Amino acid sequence: MAATLRLRRLLVFDPLTPCTRRPPRPARPRPPGLGAAAQCRPGAGQPQENFIPLRRTKGESWAPAEACAVPFLPPNASCRVPTLTPHDILYVGQIQRKHQASKTGGAALDFTGQLARFFLDHPEEAFGAMGRLLQENFYLGEARLRSKARENAISVKTLVQELGRRAGRRHCPQLQPSPRLRRFSCLSRDWLFEVPLGLLAECIHEDLALQWAKLLFDDAPTGGALAWLPTNDVAPAPRGCLVYPGGEAMNLLCFQEVALEQVAGALQPRAHGRPAQFELSGRVRQVAAAQVAGEALVGVRSDHHCGAWRLQTGTAPVPLQVIRTDAPASCLTVSPHLPGELSVCTLSGAVYLWNVETGLQRLRQDPETAFFREASPWRWSEFTSHPRVLSCADRTGLQCLDVRAPASRPFDLFKVGGEAECQRGERVMLPMYLGRAHPCQHLVATQFSVYVLDERFPRVPMLRWEHMLEAPPICAHLTPGRSQETSHKVLLGAHRTQELLLLQYTGGSHSACQLAGPPRRLHPISQGLQHLPPQATPWQGLLHQRLAAPAAGVTAAPAGQGPLEPLLVFQLSEAGDLFYQTLLHEPPAESESSAAPTSPASLPVPAAAGQPSPAWGASLGSGSEESGRLPGTVSEGTADAGQAAAPEEARPSGGLAAAARYGCWLKALLRDWSRLPEQSQPQAPHTISHQRLFTRGELSQPAGDSPLYRQARQLLCRAMRERACLAPWALGLPPTPLAMPHPMEPWAWPDDLSKRLTASWAGGWGEWWEEKLGVTRTHKLHALRDRRRRLKQARSRRSLFGSFTSSVTYQSDLSDFSACSQPPSEPPGRAEELQPPAPVCRQDLSPPRAGRGHRPPAPGQVWPASPLASSSQRSEQAAWGSQDTEDSSQLLSSQTLSSRGIPKERRKTLRDYLAIFTQPCPEPPAELPASQTSSLGSQRWGASSQSQRSTGSQPPRKRPRMGF
Amino acid sequence: MDSFVEQLKRGTEEEFTEESAWDGSAVNTTSSSLPAIYLPLLPRYLRHPTTRGRKATEFQETKKACLNYIQDALLQHQWQRAAEFMTNYLETLENTSAEKRMAAPEVIWRIGTEILCHHSKSTIEEFNYFAERMKNLGVKRYLKVCLEHVFYLLCNGLIDEAYQNLSLAEGWRYGEQTTAQDKELKLIQAYKGLLDYYNWAKKRKAMLELDGNFADSVEQEMHSFFRQAAVNLKEIIKIPGVWDPFVKCYVDLLEFYEDYEEVRQVLSEYAYNSKFPPNPNAHVYYYQFLKRQGESKKTLMSVLKILHEIVPSHELMLEYNALLQKSKKRKNHRLGLEIIFTLLDFAGWKEHVKAWSCLAKQIKQILENSGKHLDWITEEWNSRKDWWPAFHFSHYLAKRNWQENESLACEKALVAGILLGKDCKYFKYVSHQGCKAKKEKFQTMKKFVKKHSSAHLRASGVLDSCTHL
Repeated sequence: MAATLRLRRLLVFDPLTPCTRRPPRPARPRPPGLGAAAQCRPGAGQPQENFIPLRRTKGESWAPAEACAVPFLPPNASCRVPTLTPHDILYVGQIQRKHQASKTGGAALDFTGQLARFFLDHPEEAFGAMGRLLQENFYLGEARLRSKARENAISVKTLVQELGRRAGRRHCPQLQPSPRLRRFSCLSRDWLFEVPLGLLAECIHEDLALQWAKLLFDDAPTGGALAWLPTNDVAPAPRGCLVYPGGEAMNLLCFQEVALEQVAGALQPRAHGRPAQFELSGRVRQVAAAQVAGEALVGVRSDHHCGAWRLQTGTAPVPLQVIRTDAPASCLTVSPHLPGELSVCTLSGAVYLWNVETGLQRLRQDPETAFFREASPWRWSEFTSHPRVLSCADRTGLQCLDVRAPASRPFDLFKVGGEAECQRGERVMLPMYLGRAHPCQHLVATQFSVYVLDERFPRVPMLRWEHMLEAPPICAHLTPGRSQETSHKVLLGAHRTQELLLLQYTGGSHSACQLAGPPRRLHPISQGLQHLPPQATPWQGLLHQRLAAPAAGVTAAPAGQGPLEPLLVFQLSEAGDLFYQTLLHEPPAESESSAAPTSPASLPVPAAAGQPSPAWGASLGSGSEESGRLPGTVSEGTADAGQAAAPEEARPSGGLAAAARYGCWLKALLRDWSRLPEQSQPQAPHTISHQRLFTRGELSQPAGDSPLYRQARQLLCRAMRERACLAPWALGLPPTPLAMPHPMEPWAWPDDLSKRLTASWAGGWGEWWEEKLGVTRTHKLHALRDRRRRLKQARSRRSLFGSFTSSVTYQSDLSDFSACSQPPSEPPGRAEELQPPAPVCRQDLSPPRAGRGHRPPAPGQVWPASPLASSSQRSEQAAWGSQDTEDSSQLLSSQTLSSRGIPKERRKTLRDYLAIFTQPCPEPPAELPASQTSSLGSQRWGASSQSQRSTGSQPPRKRPRMGF
Repeated sequence: MDSFVEQLKRGTEEEFTEESAWDGSAVNTTSSSLPAIYLPLLPRYLRHPTTRGRKATEFQETKKACLNYIQDALLQHQWQRAAEFMTNYLETLENTSAEKRMAAPEVIWRIGTEILCHHSKSTIEEFNYFAERMKNLGVKRYLKVCLEHVFYLLCNGLIDEAYQNLSLAEGWRYGEQTTAQDKELKLIQAYKGLLDYYNWAKKRKAMLELDGNFADSVEQEMHSFFRQAAVNLKEIIKIPGVWDPFVKCYVDLLEFYEDYEEVRQVLSEYAYNSKFPPNPNAHVYYYQFLKRQGESKKTLMSVLKILHEIVPSHELMLEYNALLQKSKKRKNHRLGLEIIFTLLDFAGWKEHVKAWSCLAKQIKQILENSGKHLDWITEEWNSRKDWWPAFHFSHYLAKRNWQENESLACEKALVAGILLGKDCKYFKYVSHQGCKAKKEKFQTMKKFVKKHSSAHLRASGVLDSCTHL
């Protein structure tokens, strides 16, 4: 069944495609993004040979203008709770026994560490009752107990002392528990704890497992918590409203007015006025928005509450209604058709239509998934092209539900399975209605692929594309193309990895869907780290933590009405920071520039320590001069990280402004941190007193007279005061010229290795090698043998050719091959006449196989393990001549067969089969298998002599290997 | 299906025991209470020290890093850089992990194709050479690579080479591998049939242009192409699936030789066989064929009726409506009204002038016909009165429609006026604007609405909802 299912969608047409034009359609799904381009379909009602690929190679080319995402607003000052990292809950170190790994897939959870912390931090809760009970009986004093008191009390002095000694060394792996402590813990384990230890540990472990699962994948932020609502007035600059959560717990809903302005040739968003803020009682998980009939409706989802706001141009946002759900809500979408309508899903499997005027209408309550059993309670719903029909999704697929008759049978829009060519384990991660691109289109993202569906053609996706994201995408944004020629742009964002991918596709109404160009990765927020100056260690750690916080939302704002206007992409991190990057359309460049990687201008180092720190707003204008003075770029950082060490073209204005913005953001961030209460400040690393390093005499020594010393001292003092890094360039020291080594005289080193190194240093290694090969005959002979050995190995792999009974390639390869297989006993004098072996690139493509576990045989040595290789050692005559029975019996011996990895049960079949070929064959053409003869008719034969030989009078020696 | 997780779990366990190195590439977060999502790749930030399995060797680590760089370069469109990394990545064919070694040819094929497709300096010869090499790198995906290669050639206009490749691939035999790749083989045959069809069409054109002398020999060739194409195309159409271009070609072939019975059979099978996925195009083809054949209206309507059930928003519904209106039965008129109402439910038809004028015309007819069938309108309207006013007849839309498309606004205003009464915002706005512009038709429209809306519809309860606006 699966096979037929899969075959189904080889060619699909857009249903509404006018019959006069037949755009192409995929034949089969593409491999992950890396796939061959085609999948074509014929053009035309009129038969004309016009094939259009499913994936167009050339599309609009969009590239980010900056080297990294640039901060848009000042950092979220109140965010001080770092996000959970694997290090917080994973046990790092050796575990003695084999642990149970089923729940966490191999990860060991550090629940004992959590327990220990709990006992230390909350002793009252952990041991309170028993402690009070035992208070009289435990004597903590130093003095000895007198006989009277000894009746009811014991001294625990030594125990306490021992505990105190160990307190500082708790993490020492070599620490052995003392017998006394061990005895005490054995004794008290059952009664000392307020909550029985086993139970507590179990609960903590369970919770940690939950946290770990959330670290792997968290579906709560699905949909993204960032929305852009453009306003209609375009002059002087396009404006809009950005809706995002902020605050300490991301519970502050902000509506920020933003204008997209051209500043010094680069597009920049600028905040106007203060944002309108609403404090909510829960963390904002999702912000959904849609504009209907001139007004915008914003839906906000937190775990147990959903709210709706109305936004009209020029007025403050108005809260409309709030609903509370018993089970956590998993989805909230706003209707693009009717004002004031939303749909809500909860984790209990309920789907509601929510009208802000009439209230909730429950459409479905079904804890079961739609198509097959799946544990995840996640549900999603979107609107469709019919305002009264909702699509309901779970992890297994999408169904369409009629609001007017919710009890009627829903129809299936998408199903994870064979028809859509899904992979094993594939699950729906995010559905989205693409109504702004085409009224009938939907997007479905899974861990592996994205699909574009058409409601009119259910179950068979119009497009399929493997997105290659590391983590499943959880938010998406569509920027519809303005005309038929421009593509629809879909941004896919992942949660924890911050990945952002731009996909483009065209078609829908007048032509079939077609992917336009390869996908493009946009900068994740954390990429900014590479471009920032180094900070003092604790700050650097915090900065890393802050920038690497999971992404919480993505949206995009086109900068104008034109089709190729720049696109501003906004990103929100879970720490509440907003970043943006500008996407510019690159005119199709000719040959050279597209080959050379064009990477955006690198970001100059933003304001280093010691620069006067301007206010955030004021810095925007003056940013360019200020950072223009700063030395150095940080491109080394990227090169070292293996990133594109690409030639960089200067785009001064944009890059510098971005650098200035980043500098201000960083300053504001550091300032905010230093204002935090002590305990939430980053822990300073352990320091040692300088008195340990220097003697008093050394310290009191007068500094050198030179002004450099004084300057250095001042800088050092200031750096210490500001707790900043002392960067070498702050000293303004001229880089000390490195002493050049004495020029080398290469001829002083006559040995081979030195010559080779010299040659390769000069770049002429290849010529040197060839020259070297030509120097002595023995060397040449060695080289030849070497080459021959490689060819032989290649030949053993080329046994595949045996299968191509009627292939031209086969013939030509054979001719290549036979030319190369000269016997090693060839007189050296004839070596020059040898045909050149396979071209170099061919060897590049399939490097010689270094046999697993076998040492490559020495030149000229017979490879004993492989009868095929050994037979190829024979002279060409023997190789192509009649096969003697001895050889074939060797081929058929079970040892040989087993050494070639042929299973026992197949050996006999093989032997029978091969036995045919040991008999003389009088008329070879008559023996050709039917398939071969049939295809011979339509065959154009290539080089005649070789093919004649192998198909004609020669016994088909290669053929025995058929079927391996 | 529900045992996926179990299977995956087992798969992971096996991975441990195998000689392959555990690299944390597949982790399932299974637990009875937890959502179990299979993650294809464990994100890099989650690579954690594990106490089980073997540590990856340096070779594995390097190759993995290399693959990451290639991916990075591909996603940033740095084809040259990707190609340079690729030359190093080829070593993975010798991977020490059996599992990875098996997967290597496919990875290399895919990445290589991608790079060659986009690299500015790649040529078709290079692509061909690469494809030939890839075909022999592993027989398990021989036909897949062939097919992909053929697609590439076709898209670059190299029809003859493509045909040659298809012929070669068609004759490929490799024991069990051939049967395992059965579906690819079927596709290859089908595409060959398609190219045969094109050759046939060329010959047909040539034959029609030539007359007399050479026509015989050309006709002979044409017939041989016909036979080859027909066999292959017929074969693929039998398999459940979506085969629109193949069906079109096959129908064209058969129609030329006037084998109408076969065409009818093929098309009705393609449209109505429940094993095939629901395909609106199949119904369209069948309908068009019947229309060409000059079938009776009844037959045509029955085809369109089924299409209406599958895709009520299909473009042909207007045609269906016209057919229904022309018929003499009252039942059909009723159905026509329903169809046009349903059509306008969909967002894609919101601003379709023709559909609105159809509706306006039909409502007018009913009203002028002394309102005998007013209950039809009432019935349709009752299920829509709570959302059509906001969906179609809001003040905002009135303004926008008037600005963008006056005739649309006019048709809609008429409908709004009749359904919602003369006080509804849409009608008021448009008629006001129309009168200001001194257009004759608005006066008549206004009169018409005034005459009908108050008298008939209010009585029948249609206008209950106009208070909403």
